[in-house]
Amino acid sequence: MGEFLKDPVFLATVLGTTLPFFSMAAILILTRSNPGLSSKISLAAISTSAACALYLLVKLHSAPPVQFRTLWFTSGNLNVTFGYYLDSLSLLMLTIVGVISCLVQVYSVGYMAGDPGCSRYYAFQSLFAWAMMNNVIAGNMLQLFVFWELVGLASYFLIGFYYEKWSASQAGKKAFVMNRVGDVGFLLGLIFLLIYFGNLEIPELNHAAATHGMPRGLITVSALLFFCGVIGKSAQFPLLTWLPDAMEGPTPVSALLHSATMVAAGVYMFSRIFPFFSVSPDAMEITLAVGTVTMLLSATMAIVSYDVKAVWAYSTISQLGMMVMALGAGGYFAGVYHLTTHAGFKALLFLCSGIFIHEFHTNDMRIIGRQGGRRLKIPMVCMTIGALALSGVFPFSGFFSKEAILAVLAAHPNKTWVAAGLLGTVFTAYYSFRLIFLILFPEGGIAGKAHGPHADSAQGNEDEHPGYIFWTMAIPVMVLAGATMVLGFVENPLRRFLDRSIQTLAVQYVAGHEGMAGRILILGSCAGLFGIALSWFEFGRKGAGRIGFVGRFPAVWKLFDRRWFLDDFFRKSLDTVVYGGLSRLSVKNDNRVIDGGIDGICHLTEGVGRRLSFLQSGMLQYNLLVMLLGAGAAIILLLV
Amino acid sequence: MQTLDFLTQTAFCAVIGLTVLGAMIAVFPHNILYNVLGLALALSGIAGLYLFLGSFFIALMQLLIYVGAICIAIVFGIMLSRPLHQEVPKRAVPKVALGATACTMFFVAAVTVALKTDWRPSPGRGEDLSLWSVQRIGELLLTRYELVYEVISLVLLVAIIGAVVTAGFSRRLP
Amino acid sequence: MNHLSTYLIISALLFSLGLLGILQRRSLIGMLISVELLLNAANLNFMAFNCFLAPDPATGQIIALFVMGLAAAEVAIGLSIILALFRKMHSVNIELAQHLRG
Repeated sequence: MGEFLKDPVFLATVLGTTLPFFSMAAILILTRSNPGLSSKISLAAISTSAACALYLLVKLHSAPPVQFRTLWFTSGNLNVTFGYYLDSLSLLMLTIVGVISCLVQVYSVGYMAGDPGCSRYYAFQSLFAWAMMNNVIAGNMLQLFVFWELVGLASYFLIGFYYEKWSASQAGKKAFVMNRVGDVGFLLGLIFLLIYFGNLEIPELNHAAATHGMPRGLITVSALLFFCGVIGKSAQFPLLTWLPDAMEGPTPVSALLHSATMVAAGVYMFSRIFPFFSVSPDAMEITLAVGTVTMLLSATMAIVSYDVKAVWAYSTISQLGMMVMALGAGGYFAGVYHLTTHAGFKALLFLCSGIFIHEFHTNDMRIIGRQGGRRLKIPMVCMTIGALALSGVFPFSGFFSKEAILAVLAAHPNKTWVAAGLLGTVFTAYYSFRLIFLILFPEGGIAGKAHGPHADSAQGNEDEHPGYIFWTMAIPVMVLAGATMVLGFVENPLRRFLDRSIQTLAVQYVAGHEGMAGRILILGSCAGLFGIALSWFEFGRKGAGRIGFVGRFPAVWKLFDRRWFLDDFFRKSLDTVVYGGLSRLSVKNDNRVIDGGIDGICHLTEGVGRRLSFLQSGMLQYNLLVMLLGAGAAIILLLV
Repeated sequence: MQTLDFLTQTAFCAVIGLTVLGAMIAVFPHNILYNVLGLALALSGIAGLYLFLGSFFIALMQLLIYVGAICIAIVFGIMLSRPLHQEVPKRAVPKVALGATACTMFFVAAVTVALKTDWRPSPGRGEDLSLWSVQRIGELLLTRYELVYEVISLVLLVAIIGAVVTAGFSRRLP
Repeated sequence: MNHLSTYLIISALLFSLGLLGILQRRSLIGMLISVELLLNAANLNFMAFNCFLAPDPATGQIIALFVMGLAAAEVAIGLSIILALFRKMHSVNIELAQHLRG
């Protein structure tokens, strides 16, 4: 143990991942009443964690994977360990989580200023940071699962942060329950793995030799069960309706959890055991299909939404679907790269929307536009940058990652996938720029603001508005915008970095063919630009109808708006199966069987007593008689 | 001697017969006065049996206490409770049958025990005739069995007081 | 005939008759009379053993005496109870006294 402590890598890992836990404990126990102090503690912890993550990235970027582990418990033949596994994927994720958490917490200082539950907020942010960091460097599947659940818990707390609001607490509950449903599959997969493999270590799982021992059908089933966990956590079809509802939480929470990191945990898990998955082509096909359906479905839902946060939420689901598509088609690098860039620009989009919401106290994009949203220059510019990245326009990061995905899809023998991907790109560009244009060019012009003090707050040094609140919100946004612009150009170093971890595991994967790349590049860019042009036509230009091409078909509009009736389906099946079926059965069991049994015993006792009461005749002579008969019988027995 | 023996045997059988007859009269008829008279007869018969068992004193005591006092008291009780006017409802057959069964069982059991056991006289038994005298009884009562003697006096006292009180209470009630 | 078993049989007979009386007579006084029979049968038993088996014949007679004394006391109390019950029920039929019926 001593030599471990002297090892700076180990020290940095432990420090970085457990400091947020101590910050949470300190805030919850000690500094609950002092929001300022709580925020400082949390910020200190997360900045240290981010620094440790960057240090680890720099130190280990050319080294082989490092693993620390210690025995946690044994049960029969099973040895479960606890430890950290640092290879390129986990280092990358650690950096993403650390840096974005740090930026979001800085942003929260401004956003959550004056909120009475501020300390609680920072405590749960620290909880999330701790859980997510441990999740990404977990060395075995059980540890990953434990922290996976903790991440879900943090999400529940943060979504239901405004718990006095009914819809918020319901949304928190819904998120947690839907995650749990997916996790049932995950747990079953773990059990399968335990039975047939006997070991839950991730490096060993990924090692090709191990999977050669398992029958193909079993690998497919386990892989699909793990994918259930991905469906729950990363909001794939059909468990996707919790994510739009999760927008009830504060905007920084949406930026951190439900765009960049937590929902990416599912995709991360997929890529973590990617070699294991890729042994079974059937599982990969199914994940590809699910990802495509998710992507298209949620893109349609985003087209008809007027709530800024809801649009980005659907967009997140859609992009997650795209990542899953990429991984399902065998593009390990494409999926992970898109995860990275998406984290950057989606957080950016959410944070900018947060600034608008903070200013205008409304989520509706039409009202924001009408009240002069475009006058806030920094958020507007950054949001446009983010939207351009999302639509895949050169030279932003989204362009490179989307091209990588489309290239992988094009290499797949079945061309419907790449067609779906292109359609998705069109939708994405359309709805993002619909939002931008509705804010930039509101219907009827800018009507002026109802409340005075917040007008013209672009510079942020208004008398009502302390300067620091605006700048704490603006700086992270600008940092992220800068990252979005730059991240695209690190594609090749990143590819080499990630390839190392895959090569050492000696598993084949589908590489993007260079020959197709040129054509796909053109097609992808055209699709994006076509989407932007369509939205300009509908919303941007002067005198446009601002109805949108879907709006002309009210039935279709209703279908998209009602989330393809998924929520209604869930509600109805819940009511019939769970409430109507199981609950009714349990109640009947309780009433008839349990109560009935006990009451039956009582009635039996009473009935027997009533029948036998004739023995108590009150007649002395009968008593004597019986006594004598008994005595006589005894005597005769003794004599004989 | 033979005639004396024969007479003794006859007297013995007569006494036994009287006793059993008296007991039957005490139990079976419905008329309560018949029962009392039967009881008196039976008790007298038993006094006779005590004579045959060699205890003159106890025979006399039996006549004095039982026939002289108890039977008279019972007659007084009959007088005060006037059961003669009441009609007697029919007896339940199962009750009678079960009662008869119980008694027969008991009788059989007792007789079996009596006949089957090997009764051996205790070793300390001597042929000292002075032990049979009333004087001996008196001595023992006042020396060895003094406590029992006093206690039974107390019992009798308490019984009489209790009888008076019980009979008196119910008189006060309306 | 002057044998121990004779007396034992007689006493058993008397006891059984007394039992029969107790079990089937409905009059309370009738039951009391039967109780007297029981006690006397037991007394006879004592005296029989005293005569044939006991080491000191005086002891048995004293026992018999005490039993007689107790029987007397019992009759006294029994009669007063019957009297009290008669005043309440206006009858000495035991089958009417069923207040403890359950």
